[in-house]
Amino acid sequence: MDLQLSTEQEILRSIAARFLAEHYDYRTVKNVVQGEPGWRAEMWLEFARLGWLGLPFAVEDGGSGGEAADLALLMEAFGRHLVTEPYLATVVLAGGAIAAIASAAERREWLPAIAEGRLRMAFAGEDRAEPTRARDVSGGFFLEGAKKIVLGAPMAKTLLVSARLDSGGTGLFVAPADSRGLTIRPYRTIDGGRAADLELASVALPSSALLGGNNNADALLDAVVQRAMVALSADAVGAIGAMVAATVEYAKTRVQFGQPLGKFQALQHRLVQMKVKEEEARASSLFATLTLDAEAEARTRAVYGAKAKIGRAARFVHQSAIQLHGAIGTTAELSLGAYAKRLMAYEKLFASTDECLARYAGLIARPGVVAAGLLAG
Amino acid sequence: MDLKLSAADLAFRDEVRAFLDENVPASMRRVSDLTSGFIVDPDVSIAFHRALARKGWSVPDWPTEHGGTGWTPAQRYIFNAECGRVGAPTHNSAGSHFVGPVLIRFGTREQQAKYLPRIRSGEDHWAQGYSEPGSGSDLASLKTRAEPDGDDYVVNGQKIWTTFAHKSNRLFMLVRTSSSGKRQEGITFLLVDMDTRGITVRPIIGSGGDHEFNEVFFDNVRVPKANRVSDENKGWDVAKYLLEFERGGSVVAGRTRDAFAKLVTLLGARAAKESLLVARVAELGTDLDAMEMLEISVLSAVQAGSNPGPISSLLKLRWSEIRQSIVELAVDAIGDDALRWTSERPFYEILQLPPDQEEVLAITARYLNSRAYTIMGGTSEIQTNILAKTLLGL
Repeated sequence: MDLQLSTEQEILRSIAARFLAEHYDYRTVKNVVQGEPGWRAEMWLEFARLGWLGLPFAVEDGGSGGEAADLALLMEAFGRHLVTEPYLATVVLAGGAIAAIASAAERREWLPAIAEGRLRMAFAGEDRAEPTRARDVSGGFFLEGAKKIVLGAPMAKTLLVSARLDSGGTGLFVAPADSRGLTIRPYRTIDGGRAADLELASVALPSSALLGGNNNADALLDAVVQRAMVALSADAVGAIGAMVAATVEYAKTRVQFGQPLGKFQALQHRLVQMKVKEEEARASSLFATLTLDAEAEARTRAVYGAKAKIGRAARFVHQSAIQLHGAIGTTAELSLGAYAKRLMAYEKLFASTDECLARYAGLIARPGVVAAGLLAG
Repeated sequence: MDLKLSAADLAFRDEVRAFLDENVPASMRRVSDLTSGFIVDPDVSIAFHRALARKGWSVPDWPTEHGGTGWTPAQRYIFNAECGRVGAPTHNSAGSHFVGPVLIRFGTREQQAKYLPRIRSGEDHWAQGYSEPGSGSDLASLKTRAEPDGDDYVVNGQKIWTTFAHKSNRLFMLVRTSSSGKRQEGITFLLVDMDTRGITVRPIIGSGGDHEFNEVFFDNVRVPKANRVSDENKGWDVAKYLLEFERGGSVVAGRTRDAFAKLVTLLGARAAKESLLVARVAELGTDLDAMEMLEISVLSAVQAGSNPGPISSLLKLRWSEIRQSIVELAVDAIGDDALRWTSERPFYEILQLPPDQEEVLAITARYLNSRAYTIMGGTSEIQTNILAKTLLGL
């Protein structure tokens, strides 16, 4: 049982804080997000230089062998500074899927390129309605279907598309973004990012496109998505923390009726409640992060429980932060609105707050599960 | 970073389980389960305390030179979790968690030699005399007076909310020894024998039907000056020290999780899977997971030798709310069984029903008693005021 940061983790955290504070002031971020393409290629190269793009990958795959806890520190910093570069999409989802499913040769083909900033990918895992199908033909596959909310797709040269094979299992297919029959419909997301819906009309792919040759990757894909949920939860904690800090600062400096807002008890109590939610959210996020390597049931309980908890905390904090800023809290000029939108996106991505709660409820229905404390043997 | 228990921790856990198997019989568990108040009757919990004392585990948080166990934070966590799982009762925390640490820090050698062994063994049962009718949250305004008279103080006044004073043979109290200067600077800490002439204990019955609290009246009660802890007019510093001591990382997740597990069992037996109650219980489960994680992080900080800071006060605030919510949802789970009321107490002496039926009847009483969790030991509102200062610098 040890929750102290290692020296390396302290360094990662402080470098991230310093770099992002320098390059992600709100005015700059706002201008980037409002314009096209909505992200900065030069920042992507900086991320590569800082070793961030390869953080979770194995050393032999061009990464630095970072743990989930390291990634969580970086993601929290991203959330704190409203980073919209497609890190989650390329590194955590696509890179994570390759790390989990691909053969050693495939990993070596893709991951170093991602780590060095030369390649961006997107992960298309959610079907719009029916499951996307991969029809087995000699020499390859034809993919048919529709995907939604593919994060980072407009910035990606290569897509990873999940599809159900004739045999019934799910595989992950490497598809160039310019494949014939593949239509990409890009849009902005509420948090300032970019995503796309996809239509696949008989997209022809060679046999080698099936990552790892794995025709039954459902469980692995679930695990990849859960890792992304956990990374995103750390991002949400960063955004929550930023909103709390901004509101506390505002309460200390804004004077009305002859004294700072922070002297009024009603506001003090609201601020304490916000801080409590922030601490709880961070604790939830850490629990999920440290339980990713546990067996499936324990991991699912931690991951979905955390997203349900942090989703509720996010809503309370973003509403309270705006409230306590008064009228200016509702404007686009302040960063509060951007944080609120980032947290709204958090509540919806992968599984909504309510869906996560329902999943968690199903798991804890057995008293034995909930009776077990968080420290494992 | 990890949440793993070492092999040594797991071996310790086995040792604790074996001890509990032997010393928490089903009859004691039943008393715990049917205790609707905060605290199991000391007449029942004493047996467990004596077993702990024989093992050397009755005052685990004390310094080892005074009988503490020197457990690591992980071991403390394990002990608490395992006790929670079997419904092992706590015994006289006013002795082991309040007056004991105070005597270790401020007591004279004589006081330590006289009182500490008797807390370890359970021979003494202590009550806390702080609050007064006119002094609750504003404790510093207390008025019970101690006038010096030769080798004694003569104490006149009244304390209230004195938990289990009716089963205590000793009381520690804050009294006023000076009215000039700041209010806090006129307070003194005294140790009192409950069989001293002039002390009257009057029961206060809670709306849940239980007798836990009392009024205690002092009519010219002579208390030897030798029973004063620390100097005259320094009692407030002694009381403040106790708040710091608690910050060493309390461990309550285990017992709370046990209560929650029972709620989940109750829910499984009673509520439809799709009901809204299931969602509310699930929300509470995520709250409990977060709180336990926070508690572990405080323990981890203590283990690493750093001061966890004001986060510990945050734990107290939230645990009280979570414990209330657990029993509130239990009332919701039992539907119109909540309309039945039994006025006799204790439940474990009057009921002869199958366990799941018995426990249902105690739930409404337990709920009414639970309203005090956010009031006693510092109201949630006061705690929040303190957190605004310590955590946010407001």
